[in-house]
Order: sequence, then structure tokens, then C-alpha cells
Amino acid sequence: MSSLFDLPFEEEPEPERNPEPGTGNLEPARERERRVYTVAQLTARIRALLEREYFEIWVEGELSNCRVWNTGHLYFTLKDTGAQLKAVMFKTALARLRFKPQDGLRVVARGRVSVYDPKGEYQIVCEHLEPAGVGARMLAFEQLKERLAKAGLFDQARKRPLPALPRKIGVVTSLEGAVVRDIIHVLRRRYGNAHIVIRPTRVHGENAELDIKRGILAIGKVPGVDVVIIARGGGSIEDLWAFNEEVVAYAIAGCPVPTISAVGHETDVTIADFVADVRAPTPSAAAEMVVARKADFQAGINRLTDRLGTTMRTRLAMRERHAAELTHDLRRIVRARLSARERRYQSLRLTLETFDVRRRFAAVRTRLVAVDGRLLSALRRRTHAADGRLRSAAARLDSLSPLAVLGRGYAVCWNQDRTQILRDASTVAAGDGVRVTLERGELQCEVKQSG
Amino acid sequence: MAESDPTIKDFEAAIAELEGIVKQLEVGDLALDASLKLYERGVQLSRFCHARLEDAERRIEVLNERGELKPFDDK
Repeated sequence: MSSLFDLPFEEEPEPERNPEPGTGNLEPARERERRVYTVAQLTARIRALLEREYFEIWVEGELSNCRVWNTGHLYFTLKDTGAQLKAVMFKTALARLRFKPQDGLRVVARGRVSVYDPKGEYQIVCEHLEPAGVGARMLAFEQLKERLAKAGLFDQARKRPLPALPRKIGVVTSLEGAVVRDIIHVLRRRYGNAHIVIRPTRVHGENAELDIKRGILAIGKVPGVDVVIIARGGGSIEDLWAFNEEVVAYAIAGCPVPTISAVGHETDVTIADFVADVRAPTPSAAAEMVVARKADFQAGINRLTDRLGTTMRTRLAMRERHAAELTHDLRRIVRARLSARERRYQSLRLTLETFDVRRRFAAVRTRLVAVDGRLLSALRRRTHAADGRLRSAAARLDSLSPLAVLGRGYAVCWNQDRTQILRDASTVAAGDGVRVTLERGELQCEVKQSG
Repeated sequence: MAESDPTIKDFEAAIAELEGIVKQLEVGDLALDASLKLYERGVQLSRFCHARLEDAERRIEVLNERGELKPFDDK
């Protein structure tokens, strides 16, 4: 790609005016027919021819491989579906442009065709460029981007977090070139025992997108692969184009595990970048994102484990202190109470001992016997007196008994329930039952009339 | 394989749970019994994480078109 421009022009080469080989009349005709040029001579003639014929022409095409050398000149390729044309624009002409030439841009160029003799390659030396609408690829890119955005493939909500510690790291890339080595190198450095599964694919050229799609589908199914890097090194926008294809976009979206896209250089943006869960600026950066340093993991876990231990020890020590304090308090309280009881007990015992209990019992018994004798004789006397009083009371009671009155022919009239003695005829009505008590027996009567 | 413990889902889950336990213990209004249980769980998680770090096999494989895994020629 760059071979043509390994020796960029510092100035436009002077057309050489090599004299043509001698054509003197003395030469035989055969010699004239068989005219042998040197390479330089022929190249010079071709250059003269092209420069004469195409000293000021307009040509339309798509910019590709745009590259400004440190000389300040712009080298690029103009292309369309059928052909490519090497092109250069010198610094002074470049400075006059009102837009920035970019890959994929369709332009109309004005210039002259020339030949770079040392390489025998022709090219157009452009004086002027103007954009001819958005390049077809760019247009396709924008349209696909819009379509996929509408389909929700770029939604932030779809983005999955990468596993903190992947079991197996899947890589979809080409085995050619530095990319795969870079990724392996970075992974090995960060996480020595990383398990890597590589799915080789073509990453540019005809139908590369189908290869990439198959690769993503296949690697997503490998047991244990829990993250996939989709990577490609830098190149022209055409080189990266496979990663702008819809089939690749859907393959990434459909990948069962989180994906990292790492396509081209940091400034290259592809559809794959939008769809992937994470976009890495470069393949090496992808490898760095996919797994932290093992040492960092270990340090992190150790920190947590230390905190766990320290906290638990502190808590235990706190509990222990608390328990010790409680025990101490308890002992103090119990001791205080015990001594109070003890004191009270001792004083009671002292009091008790001051009484001579047995002597007091003897005195009590003597008094008891004496009292007993007096009580008995008093009781006897009182019983006798009570007897007489009882008999006279009975006689008096007898004279007051209603039975004695009944004996004289009176009767007592009760209400039906025998709860009340009737004294007033108006308290009963006709039909009420009454009871009448006689000296001997009782009558059950019914009132015929009252009042 | 790391000690397969059905109560631990994966490395992330283990780290997250361990962090949670440390915080819970540090806040510290738990009964001693409960905090001892948490501590034991924490130690178990920490062991799991360390084991898991050593778990992955240092290996590079290439998945070919036929879906076979072959060792990668790592010069």
C-alpha cells in the first residue's frame, strides 16, 4: 500500500528530456524495426505521453488510504467500483482546501497525471479537491447505523457488564499479524493462568463479515467462555469494513456472553463498536479491560479478608470486655447483698441467744396449770347457773308460742307460698289460694271473695 | 476446579457478598451469634475467591472450523 510512496516527492520531478536513440539513415531497416529502449527511456516516453495527454483533467472517486506524510504532502487513493488511482496532493495545494480529506469521502479532483520514474508508477498530482457528496460507503454506514439504532441494538440497557474474573476468554481475530500476539501478551502479563480460546477468522476481504459472524457464533458456544474479544488491527476504512456489516452487528448482539470490540485504531469507529457491550480503543486495551491484574485481585481479596478478621476480633474483644464488666458487677452486687444478710442473721442470732427459751417455757407451764384449774371450776359454776336460766326461759317461751294461741281455737292465715301472714283482706283477690294453719294440721283454701 | 460450593454463584457474587459481610460486621449492631455466623461465611468466601484465582488453566486453544479445540502454537 505504501510502497509507491516510500520516497515521497519533495518537489515535482523534472521531466527528463532524454534524446531518442539515433535514427540515422545509415541504420539498416531491421535495426529500425527492432528498437530497444532502456527502461528509463521508455518510462520517460510514457510519462511524456501521459503528461501531454492528461495535463489538466477532472476525475471523480472515493478517497481512501488518506495519509499526510511528515513532508506535509497528502497521499491517497482515488477509487470507484472498478479501479483505483494513486494520488498525491502537495502541501501548498493541500493548504488551500476548505475541507479535510477523509477516507470514504467522494471527491472530484483536478490535476495532471504523472509518472514516478523510480517506481514506474503513474499517479495523479492533484491541484484541487472538492467533495462530491457523501461517499457511498459513508452513506451506507450512516444508514445501517440508523437502522440498527432503531432496532435497539445500541441501547445502553442492552449493555452487559464484563465478568470480573472470566473463566475462559474468547478471542475472534486473525492469526496473522500482531493483534493476536498483543492480546496474548497482555493477558499473560496481567493474569498468568488465563485460559484463552482463539477463533481465527479473516478480518478483511471478500465475505470476511460472514467469517467473523460464524466465528462469534462458534466461540459463544464454547463451554466456559464467558467473554469475547472481537479484534482487528488498524487499516483503511475499507480494511475495517467487515466490522460495519449488519451480519456482524447481529452476531455480536446475539452473542450469549458479553463482548468487547477492538477494531482498528482509537480513532476508527465501526458498527461493531456500537453494538458490543464494551468498546476498547485497541486490541491491547481490550485485553487489559477483560481481566484485572491477578495481583490486584489478590490484594483486593486480602484487604477484605483482613477487614473481616479485624472486625471480628474487635467485636469479640468488645464482647469479652463487656462480659468481664458484667461479671464483675454481678459479683459486687451479690457480695453486697450477702454481707447485708449475714449482718442481719448475726444480729438475730444474738437477740435469740439473749432469751433463755427453756426457762421461759417452764414458767409458762406453771401458769398454764394454775389457769387450767381455775377455768374448770368457773366453768362448772357457770354451767349450773345457766341450766336454771334455761328452764325458766323455756317456760316463758312456751306461753308466747303461737301454738298455745292456736290451742285456744285461733287460726293463722298465710298467703299461698306461706311466706307472709295475711292481716288485710285486700291483699288477696278472688281465686287466690291461701293456707290456714290450725292447732293440728293446715288447710289449703281458695278465696271466693275479698274485701 | 475451585471447591464447588452450591451456595456461591460465582466470583463476582462471592466478592460482592464478602464486601457486604465486612460492611455488616463493621456497622456492628448484630448479636454475637449472628456475627460469628457471618464471619464464618466470610472466611469461606475469601477461600473461594483465592481458589478461583488459581483455578483457570494456563492454556491457549484454537477453535477451528470444525468446532474442535486445538492447542495454540505459542512460539
